Amino acid sequence: MAPSTSGYTLVVCEKPDAAQRVAEALSNGDAQSTAVDGMRIFRFACNGEDYVVCSAQGHVYAISDPFGERTVYPVFDVEWYPTNLVEKNASAARRIKAISRLAEGAAKFVNACDFDPEGETIGFNVLRYACRGKEREALRAKFSTLTRDDVVDAFRQARPQAGQGPARAGRTRHLVDFMWGVNLSRVLSQSALNSGHRYRTISMGRVQGPTLAFLARRETEIREFVPLPFWKVSGIFEKEGIRFTVGYSKEVGSRTAAEKARDDCNGKEGVATSVLKHAFKVCPPPPFNTGDLQKEAYGAFGFSPSRTLQTAEKLYLKALVSYPRTNSQHLPPSINYKTVLQGLQRIDRYSKIAGDILGGALSPTQGIKVDSAHPAIYPTGEAPRGQLDQRETSVLDLIVRRFLATFGPPARKESVIVKLTVGEHDFVLRGERTLYSGWLESYGRYVSTRERSVPSVAKGDRFMVADVVVEERFTHGPSRYNQGSLLEQMERESIGTKATRADIIATLEERGYVEGSSMKVTHLGLAVTETMEKYAPAILTTKLTREIEERIDKVEGEAMRDAELIRETVRSIAVQLEGLNANEEVVGRELDAAFAGTSEASNLLGPCPVCRSGQLKVIRSRKTRKRFVGCSNYSTGCTASAPLPQKGTIRTTAKPCYRCSWPVVYIMGGRMPWKLCVNPSCPAKKRRKRA
Amino acid sequence: MKCKLCSREAISDICRYHEGAKQKVDAGYPLWSKAYGGISWKEYLDKVKRNEQTGQWAREIAEMLEDIQID
Repeated sequence: MAPSTSGYTLVVCEKPDAAQRVAEALSNGDAQSTAVDGMRIFRFACNGEDYVVCSAQGHVYAISDPFGERTVYPVFDVEWYPTNLVEKNASAARRIKAISRLAEGAAKFVNACDFDPEGETIGFNVLRYACRGKEREALRAKFSTLTRDDVVDAFRQARPQAGQGPARAGRTRHLVDFMWGVNLSRVLSQSALNSGHRYRTISMGRVQGPTLAFLARRETEIREFVPLPFWKVSGIFEKEGIRFTVGYSKEVGSRTAAEKARDDCNGKEGVATSVLKHAFKVCPPPPFNTGDLQKEAYGAFGFSPSRTLQTAEKLYLKALVSYPRTNSQHLPPSINYKTVLQGLQRIDRYSKIAGDILGGALSPTQGIKVDSAHPAIYPTGEAPRGQLDQRETSVLDLIVRRFLATFGPPARKESVIVKLTVGEHDFVLRGERTLYSGWLESYGRYVSTRERSVPSVAKGDRFMVADVVVEERFTHGPSRYNQGSLLEQMERESIGTKATRADIIATLEERGYVEGSSMKVTHLGLAVTETMEKYAPAILTTKLTREIEERIDKVEGEAMRDAELIRETVRSIAVQLEGLNANEEVVGRELDAAFAGTSEASNLLGPCPVCRSGQLKVIRSRKTRKRFVGCSNYSTGCTASAPLPQKGTIRTTAKPCYRCSWPVVYIMGGRMPWKLCVNPSCPAKKRRKRA
Repeated sequence: MKCKLCSREAISDICRYHEGAKQKVDAGYPLWSKAYGGISWKEYLDKVKRNEQTGQWAREIAEMLEDIQID
């Protein structure tokens, strides 16, 4: 039965929490919450009009091919389907049914989904499919925060979308990405299946490809790295009983030269030949865009980019911060700096800093990047209504402090460089101190201030060289990417979007292409990269994906038709598939071997402490199908073995137990992974039992 | 043919990854020799093998070259 009210305005939001916020804002808290087909909706009257606010739950429509047969490719005949038909998501079916019923009684429609490509796509699909072709007549309400003022203002200014450019761009992106992903993944997975008789998803996509290529390239550099020796020479200078260590002006590339410097300087007199002092300003950082927030949260708390974005979205839905998916590093005056700062002044921990800022001219530091849809991420100034969890508290504090920091005056620092000369050898002493902390104070613990004090030295001062120390050192190989630096690299190369980069990184881990927080590329990850390099190299280049991004931008700006881009995509995919298809057998063999290598490697736990020459590994009993630890030297007589928990994933810590030297593993399962020494007779366990 | 050091396809007797590492190990010798004012190939391989900073494939190559010398 259709709802009793008719002729109302139906407001479509992206998520249930957003629907509640919008309803509260428009109704001044008077909205009545009821359920239609199990979906919570809100009814109220505003300015003499009846409103019903409902919501999708993210994407309730997804792209799929009509057959959904994973062995079939190429796939170009794709369509939008309710997500319950694609992903067995029952709640999508209920929502679509409820929205369709509500649409029957509606006279007007408002799309109040998030104002970005994903929100445009979600709103467009709901209005087109569930509301039966209402996407053109629906008004678009655009807001960057869910505060009452912003929402009311957005509804006052809501207009129909003229050309639907952003929605078309969003839908085209989904379509293009699906076609690339499904075709490449199916050809790879199918080749491996045909060769090795076992199915495992080997995914590949137009953004995943270049991202994996960055990682594989770095992994290769690390694994083939040969260090070079150099010598660090330090002089211990002394004057009036005070000693200080000063480094040689450069790294010394040969042992002979290092020893010569030591012999030449030891016991001699040095003179300060120059003392350079330089005062400089350190300007505040720009406000956060999505990527900057993700990188900073990774550095400060170790949160993965996807986790940070999820947390920021929760804070947005609680009206505590502005919309967190933005490229902008710009805070326009229209966000009303004063109101936000006054709000923060009412929160104890920010009260003093916000008060100080309000006492001066309000002019935040602005960054270079802009986004026409949303400003940079900023706090709304509202105090949390309920309890926030630890992660939300951390991310909110980071966003607030970054916002406050942008209003702070530049910090002033002084660097000192003293050159001490002993004959033909120069030693250099460097120091740095903060003269005025400025914005550093607002940003608190999120900024590290490198203070290095130096003794007071004037030009011409003389010192005795009490000793010279020569240390042999070696160059280091490149560092592995972490989730923060990989995100930065993706941003620099303009691949992916602010919304998708974090998911791409998570997928690489999920597929077993990388492992650990240092993102070590696995045997499989290297093999997939190698295969693509040989048979479909364009997928690994940033050029291809960047060109597609540029074309999607053109579709958004209505400078290109979506159909044209889709035609180009089909042609491009066909060319790439050709190389893979022609070599299906070799591709399959290589990938299957990589699977075997990866699974073999992931079963190895560490050296056997009993025979000392074998490796302990996870073995599954053929008889009982239970897993246990055994030694690779079992066939030659080593009987080391141990039981294992039968539930949860086992991952090696790569560290032996400090008491018994047996491997320690992580058991991943429940809420938190736990560590276990696999030795059932480990003395540490006995001690714990006694305790 | 399989690589002598891992299960990958080999170009001659080692895979392309180990081949790349071998080139790095070969190129490092004159630099190490200059740094230490003369060092034997055997001594160089031993130092590279034991160095914590040496990459996994470079270490495997150093070990392999050392074994070849012993043989």
